[in-house]
Amino acid sequence: MKKAFLLIALAFSFMIAAVGCGSNSPLTIWVGSESVDFYTNKMVEYVENYNATHEKEFPYEVDVKAVDTGTAASTFLDDPDAGADIFTVAHDNLGKLIAGSSSIAPITNTALLAQIEADNPQTFLNVIKGTVDGNEYTFGVPYIAQSLILYYNKAYITPEQVQTWEGIWEAARASGKQALSLTGTDGFNNSFLLLATEYDNHYTSLELYKDGIQENCFATGDDTIAKLKWGQRFFTDEFGAKAPTESGWEVELADEISLSVIGGAWHFSAASAALGEDLGIAPLPTFTLTEDDAYGQAVAGTVYKSGTFADTKMFVIKKNSDKADYLQDILLFLSSKEVQEESFIAAQNLPAYKNASTEFEAFQEDTLAAKLATAQVEMFEWGIPQPFGYNSKFNTYYYSKGAPDLILDILENKDGEFSTDQAIYDQMLIVESLWKTGLRPE
Amino acid sequence: MNKKNNADKKNRFLSALHDFYNRITRRSKAFINRFKDGSTPTKISHIIMGYGNLARKQIIKGLMFLTLEIAFLLIMIFSPEINSTPFGGKAIINFFTLGTEEGNIFTPTDNSMLMLLFGILTFGIMAMFYAAYIANIKSSYKADLDIRKGGHATTFKEDIASLLDERFHVAMLTPAIIGIVTFTLLPTIFMICIAFTNFDSLHPAGQVLFDWVGLKNFTDIFSGQGEISVRFLPVLGWTLLWAFFATFTNYIGGILLALLINKKGVKYKKFWRTIFIITIALPQFISLLTMRKLLSEYGPINTFLINSGFIDSPIEFLANANNAWVARFTIITINIWIGIPFTMLMTSGILMNIPKDLYEAAQIDGATKRKAFFHITVPYILFITTPYLITSFIGNITNFNVIYLLTGGAPTVSGYIAGETDLLVTWLYKLTIDQSDYNIGSVVGILTFIITATATLLTYRRSKSYKEEDAFQ
Repeated sequence: MKKAFLLIALAFSFMIAAVGCGSNSPLTIWVGSESVDFYTNKMVEYVENYNATHEKEFPYEVDVKAVDTGTAASTFLDDPDAGADIFTVAHDNLGKLIAGSSSIAPITNTALLAQIEADNPQTFLNVIKGTVDGNEYTFGVPYIAQSLILYYNKAYITPEQVQTWEGIWEAARASGKQALSLTGTDGFNNSFLLLATEYDNHYTSLELYKDGIQENCFATGDDTIAKLKWGQRFFTDEFGAKAPTESGWEVELADEISLSVIGGAWHFSAASAALGEDLGIAPLPTFTLTEDDAYGQAVAGTVYKSGTFADTKMFVIKKNSDKADYLQDILLFLSSKEVQEESFIAAQNLPAYKNASTEFEAFQEDTLAAKLATAQVEMFEWGIPQPFGYNSKFNTYYYSKGAPDLILDILENKDGEFSTDQAIYDQMLIVESLWKTGLRPE
Repeated sequence: MNKKNNADKKNRFLSALHDFYNRITRRSKAFINRFKDGSTPTKISHIIMGYGNLARKQIIKGLMFLTLEIAFLLIMIFSPEINSTPFGGKAIINFFTLGTEEGNIFTPTDNSMLMLLFGILTFGIMAMFYAAYIANIKSSYKADLDIRKGGHATTFKEDIASLLDERFHVAMLTPAIIGIVTFTLLPTIFMICIAFTNFDSLHPAGQVLFDWVGLKNFTDIFSGQGEISVRFLPVLGWTLLWAFFATFTNYIGGILLALLINKKGVKYKKFWRTIFIITIALPQFISLLTMRKLLSEYGPINTFLINSGFIDSPIEFLANANNAWVARFTIITINIWIGIPFTMLMTSGILMNIPKDLYEAAQIDGATKRKAFFHITVPYILFITTPYLITSFIGNITNFNVIYLLTGGAPTVSGYIAGETDLLVTWLYKLTIDQSDYNIGSVVGILTFIITATATLLTYRRSKSYKEEDAFQ
């Protein structure tokens, strides 16, 4: 009898312990693997400050984990209850995350909203907001910025040559190499051509979900066709650009098969390993239309600056988190300009803070990290944020319905089918339709 | 002949239907009979589970049945929530509606995916409860019969002893069946159900409700528009072609290699076998990635060919190949290199076990070596390896690794997700993991299952291994 009582008592105490543990789960934060140590230390600092200012213990343990932005977004899309209390995503995932009734919560803390408005460029402010049930909310807290830049081989390309694609092309021809390797053929990597704008006045006729409206896509303007004609010459020339190979751009750069690569900050380590001391970093170059490229209103001699998607990574918070009362105050701290500057020094994260290039001392140093940062900041002037956050369809239509392959077909003049202006125009009409509807025109 | 076959098939079908009807009738009659013939405690057991056992002082067994009933009723009545989604009674209703609450920025939307899952799980629990319910009545009725025969209701110890002795098969099979139902059957039903919904990237679970759409996802295949319609037949065609060549090149190559190594006069047999077995010892994905690097545009093979003056520019063997057939041919060739050692090893074992007296008898009858080979060796190998051949064919239809690691499904087809070398299974992966189009992925999964199941049944039932099971023993 005593044994039975003992067993029942043990079972009860086990259940109580289990329930007790369940209700006090840690506050979880997901950040990129390169920043885990940094944000773990920052959260230790935050908790210490909290304890000191509130004269009571911070009620939760904090668990900072390495989960990349793509995985974090897809985890939430599969099951909104399964993710962390705070996590980071690229801003173009916003549309998917707030589809329907949204799986993330809007920012409501007035101090945090004020900090977001004060510290971020307008381009970022436009893409961290979304409309749910007819009301606009701010969902993301920008903390990292990123754009495409050029990694190049200084042993072959001079600082003058790197200003223009023609200069790099000339250096490639002189050395019997190829001018450019791409890291991928997707719609992100072809943005240097599609998003190129006139150097003098930033003009482009290209429209990509302008003002967040699905119908506002235009890819058949004279300048777009002319840029693609220029791109076709560049990609079909023996010494021009090359599509990605099975060998990988790192091998091509290291073996001096090609002299440059368009990449983001996340390619820095690999580019550095491939080129060592010969690694040069520069903003993306310009290119000039020739008589061969001219089309309609886009005349020979027009100079274009390569474009880029200028993106931000942002913190977002889980809807219905049982720790909601604490999350926005944490973000106020983690997205402050001081923490962003420390993050740049510790993990080379390019700050989203709008005055970083002039105010942050680390930007003024003569280091590759600083050059990487300043090149990206310069490219922000020539880029647009990926405009896919307004609607969950945009991202899918732009990237996943085959448009990037159709554009690559033009650039490589697949089977000689795109030798005429009309063929390029017709192909871009299909691209336009895919962007708008996800379907080819009937 | 055909008419006779059709008549046979019809008869078999009618007979199976008749058997099924008889079984249902027999069980219903048995159920009614137990109720009529059973003692009062047995009758009460139809409502209060375990009562019959408790009345006969089979305390533990009775309590187990009673606890099961109480737990089941509690779950069904109170429908506890997991991740804000009810389980149990409410889950049955939710299974049909797939959620009604659309939520807003501050309140959650019903999670249609969890509702579908919990609905199926609840049906599974109901089925298992039904089995326990019948077992409870049978147990009480058995006690009735034991007492009527002048015996006694079995004690818990006797039940356990029985489970470990004459009912050992029940003890062993019950956990296995529960495992299969929970981890295989229910997820399969879940997957099948998704094929009849619009659960895709535009209906993320917990944010937007999704709903039943009937056969729409299947009829879309014939609509002539969209990924599933345009790419299904080309992908299916290449899948079957790949499975055929991948299976038979390995099979024939492996047999030839084994015959060569086992040929009289060949020295260092063990050494040659070891050399080929090393390929098996290496993890397959390492072999595949190594081959991919070797064949890359600036890899060693292309570099050698260029330096030797055989070619001027690199050949694109795999994902970037200008002609899809180059990539397909390369994949099949690499697969031969990876797969032949398996068949070689198996066939070597078979060759060494062919009874020598068969050859001696043939020799005495005046058979030439060639005749002996085609009338003893080949049939023997075919007989033993037919099941392997079938499983290998099915395995190749769903051979994810080789395709995904070598080409990722490329060369791409402009405007579509499925590439020129995508199999149904790699396409399914892209549709679900990359695109979150779970409904279309499910349709592809179901069709893949139908193809593999049909191929297996047709080929195996026509094989000698099936028809002449006792031969060669």
